[in-house]
Amino acid sequence: MTVHTGQSTAKAAGEGARGRGRATGERPGRLRRALSTHWYAWTMVAPVVIVLGVIVGWPLGRGIYLSLTDANERNVGRTIGANHIDATYKFVGLDNYVDVLSDPVFVQRLTWTVVWTVCCVSTTFLLGLVLANMLNRQFRGRAAYRMMLILPWAVPGFVSVFAWRFLFNRDNGLLNKVLDGGGISAVPWLDDPTWAKFSVIAVNVWLGVPFMMVALLGGLQSIPGELYEAAEMDGAGPWKRFLYITVPGLRAVSSTVILLSTIWTFNMFPVIFLLTRGGPGDSTEILVTQAFRQAFVESPRDFAGSATWGVLILAVLMIFAFVYRRSLRKQGEVW
Amino acid sequence: MRRGIAATALVATLALAATACGDSDSGDSGEKKSSGELSGTVTWWDTSNDTEKATFKKIAEDFHAQHPKVTVKYVNVPYGDAQNKIKNAFSSGSDAPDVIRADVGWVADFASLGYLDKVPDAKAKEVDSAFLKQAAASGKYDGQMYAVPQVIDTLGLFYNKKMLKDAGVEPPKTLEEVKTAAAAIKSKTGKTGLYLRGDDSYWFLPFIYGEGGDLVDAKNKKVTVDSPAGVKAFKAARDLVTSGAAITNATDGWNNMETAFKSGKVAMMVNGPWAVADAYAGDEFKDKANLGIAAVPAGSAAQGAPQGGHDLAVYAGSKNRDASHAFVDYLTSQTVQVQTTKALSLLPTRTAAYDQPDVKSNEMVQFFKPAVDKAVERAWIPENGALFEPLKLQFTKAVTGASSPEDAAKASATAFHKILKDWK
Amino acid sequence: MSSQRGKRSPLASVGLHATLIGASVIAVFPVLWVFLTSLKPAKYAITTDFFKDTTLDNYRYLVDKTSFFTWFGNSALIAGVTTLLGVFISATTGYAVSRFKFPGMRPLMWTLLITQMFPMAILIVPLYNLMGQLGLLNQPVGLIITYLTIAVPFCAWMMKGFFDGIPVEIDESGRVDGLNPFGTFWRLILPLAKPGLAVTAFYSFITAWGEVAYSSAFMVGDENLTLAGGLQTFVTQYTANWGPMTAASVLIAVPAAVFFLFAQKHLVAGMTAGATKG
Repeated sequence: MTVHTGQSTAKAAGEGARGRGRATGERPGRLRRALSTHWYAWTMVAPVVIVLGVIVGWPLGRGIYLSLTDANERNVGRTIGANHIDATYKFVGLDNYVDVLSDPVFVQRLTWTVVWTVCCVSTTFLLGLVLANMLNRQFRGRAAYRMMLILPWAVPGFVSVFAWRFLFNRDNGLLNKVLDGGGISAVPWLDDPTWAKFSVIAVNVWLGVPFMMVALLGGLQSIPGELYEAAEMDGAGPWKRFLYITVPGLRAVSSTVILLSTIWTFNMFPVIFLLTRGGPGDSTEILVTQAFRQAFVESPRDFAGSATWGVLILAVLMIFAFVYRRSLRKQGEVW
Repeated sequence: MRRGIAATALVATLALAATACGDSDSGDSGEKKSSGELSGTVTWWDTSNDTEKATFKKIAEDFHAQHPKVTVKYVNVPYGDAQNKIKNAFSSGSDAPDVIRADVGWVADFASLGYLDKVPDAKAKEVDSAFLKQAAASGKYDGQMYAVPQVIDTLGLFYNKKMLKDAGVEPPKTLEEVKTAAAAIKSKTGKTGLYLRGDDSYWFLPFIYGEGGDLVDAKNKKVTVDSPAGVKAFKAARDLVTSGAAITNATDGWNNMETAFKSGKVAMMVNGPWAVADAYAGDEFKDKANLGIAAVPAGSAAQGAPQGGHDLAVYAGSKNRDASHAFVDYLTSQTVQVQTTKALSLLPTRTAAYDQPDVKSNEMVQFFKPAVDKAVERAWIPENGALFEPLKLQFTKAVTGASSPEDAAKASATAFHKILKDWK
Repeated sequence: MSSQRGKRSPLASVGLHATLIGASVIAVFPVLWVFLTSLKPAKYAITTDFFKDTTLDNYRYLVDKTSFFTWFGNSALIAGVTTLLGVFISATTGYAVSRFKFPGMRPLMWTLLITQMFPMAILIVPLYNLMGQLGLLNQPVGLIITYLTIAVPFCAWMMKGFFDGIPVEIDESGRVDGLNPFGTFWRLILPLAKPGLAVTAFYSFITAWGEVAYSSAFMVGDENLTLAGGLQTFVTQYTANWGPMTAASVLIAVPAAVFFLFAQKHLVAGMTAGATKG
């Protein structure tokens, strides 16, 4: 599908001149050729590259650097009015990483973050799959159901999280009132470590299902109907059809949404922060909320520490994405 | 006029800088002109709440009448994220306020980071002599005064007069009395005695003060939360819950506390003056006279609640320091303090203000002044605020029984040591 | 697609509807509850009654006593511009990555993925300082740029998938007609990409409209706050003004839902192409 920009007519000499201006002296001809061939593409991606470079690249580079120092709020350079205070932090090598990795807290947080991610993504995926399959049939009211089911996606996250906090409230929440009506005594939804874990997962699943459902619904609709007809003719039952047509048909879309939703869930700051603030105690604290705590709640703000956590989060996710794509490629998916 | 500043130590730098700048009478825009008239704009970040902000805005803008060339820009910053916002603004210097209203717990933190301008000598002297002593202390860091106290508060025991009367008990003076009172309330009215806020460690302080302890001993640079008194404090808090005298929550404590108290599900709660307006909004307190406030119950050794309140400070990077200091002076003047007490029932920080009829007759002042007199000063160290996070974790665990009082005390101490490196 | 399996037993039909009704109730109820709460007097906000002394007082309070409309305007401006720019640059990027093989393409794809892995929550302070240096604090522009970095990586990824599904012959016909790649993109491809653009727009809008952390860090002062920031003023650790809070939530959710109504027709089609090929 990909067209080489080279096929399009090479551009005027003005571009070549610009290319020469930027060339570092080494093989200017090659750079000029590259520029004249690819300038369309480069122009088109330039806005993204610039914005990402400034807003993400710069802090990222700085973050990696800070994670190798002992920088905190008290020793970074700053100018307050007429007074300039020089930076006095120093390079400490990998000390921060050693500290964090040898602290049992990191393993605790990582374990819970992984559990949280796996639970959320798998539940969301399964529910999304079930609902998508249901909505993929023809029946009256389908559009209405679809609209209602997508609603959680359309409402700003912090609004719905507040709504859930109302419902989960142990003493004054509706959920416990309903349970009470059924003779079940109050459930400490957000007050007990185990229940709180359950509750945050439930809310995140609630928030995530619409995205999954819509993506999978799209995937289902792109599977040609003839395949099902042929299979039915061959006498394949519904389960077999699902297993041999639907599942492979959804392969591509599933692999993408699972990857994305894993990444998003891993770093799902607002749900945890707004629902429990990591509590009760520290039982629902994931890696991101921990890093946030280090950067903002402590005083002096520990810039080096939170950068270290940030880099580690990024590393974990990159390893995951890499392995995930490897395993997909082994199965013949090219991406 | 600006003198060279070459001191390396941060605090020394600041002290010097402040003096140096105080002496200078030229330079930045809007500074004092030779005529002595102030001009320019002063931006004030106020953290007062929804019901208070209109009053403060008006008071702030009235400054203009006294100094026609000074414009005050009033900005209300919600208390919840103010500390972070102020830090962000001060450290980057862009769009930073000239004057802030800081919780007493923040002053040392900001001052230690070099963000605050020293209070001019004359004003500092006045604060030392004419203000409540414990209030004045909250504005100091390392022997210098960086903030002027604006209002003062503390925690008290809120009680539902009718429910206590129905149960035939007096407002309890000690935790033991809380338990007996709660038992009586339970048997007579079927309601719970006390709501104990378990998701905020500020509410732990009365317990540890009650056992004669404190979180840290700043003088000797020692962490004391795991002392026997600290362990006893965790035990006492947990005991209230296990004995059924109190209910608690690990999350949403504020809402549940207010709801329970306002709707008569509990007879008592521990809270500050800022909660009074909300309590009056409840069905139980349609008759305002039904609300009683007493000092927090004592522990086995003493009675004490943390001293809170707000101070006003000037940003060291402000382009208009003279006008800013004048503005702070105005906001903490006797007239303004009496005015705010009258309008908002906030407790003044000037000793003489309490002799004013408007203040004297104020119900809230009558409630809280005795408590404020006994309020325990916290250690005014920069790490003050940072201690509350790990403490909250352990307090919640101890109150809900997730960990033993001993473990909670020990774990808090470990966390404190991480924050207060090289303390004993 | 499945009309061939139209013969469904009544029992299965009941089961289908029962499940879907159950799921819909769960999906809608929390939002509905916020709405019901907003109609109760503020002091009854935390009660379990569905209706109690129904009143519009909370809305009245919002209109009379707060700068709600200012916040609303700020949010609308920020979300609107973010959406426009987000759609445009995601589309150009997606198109370039889909059609041209150019040096830097694979790293760019990876960057788009990695950017999404970035724990944005801890970038607040560095970004704050950066915005301070650029003079963009307390300016809508600062937030718009930040939201673009959150929304664009996903959108560009999705748009690439979408463009992959548009036959390359269309590009070629454009070239035959003498259009340069920009012309081809703008006149021929973009009109075909409407469903993809709708999803992108929806996603960018939702991102900007509901974001809390950055907007409350970057903006200060009543007249500069966005809705999300403004709402923070109602509920803090020591005050909880749930009445206006819920009323504001409802008013915030409405535009998002309306926007969504327009986009949802395309949502499935757009996502499919994007996600399948992505």
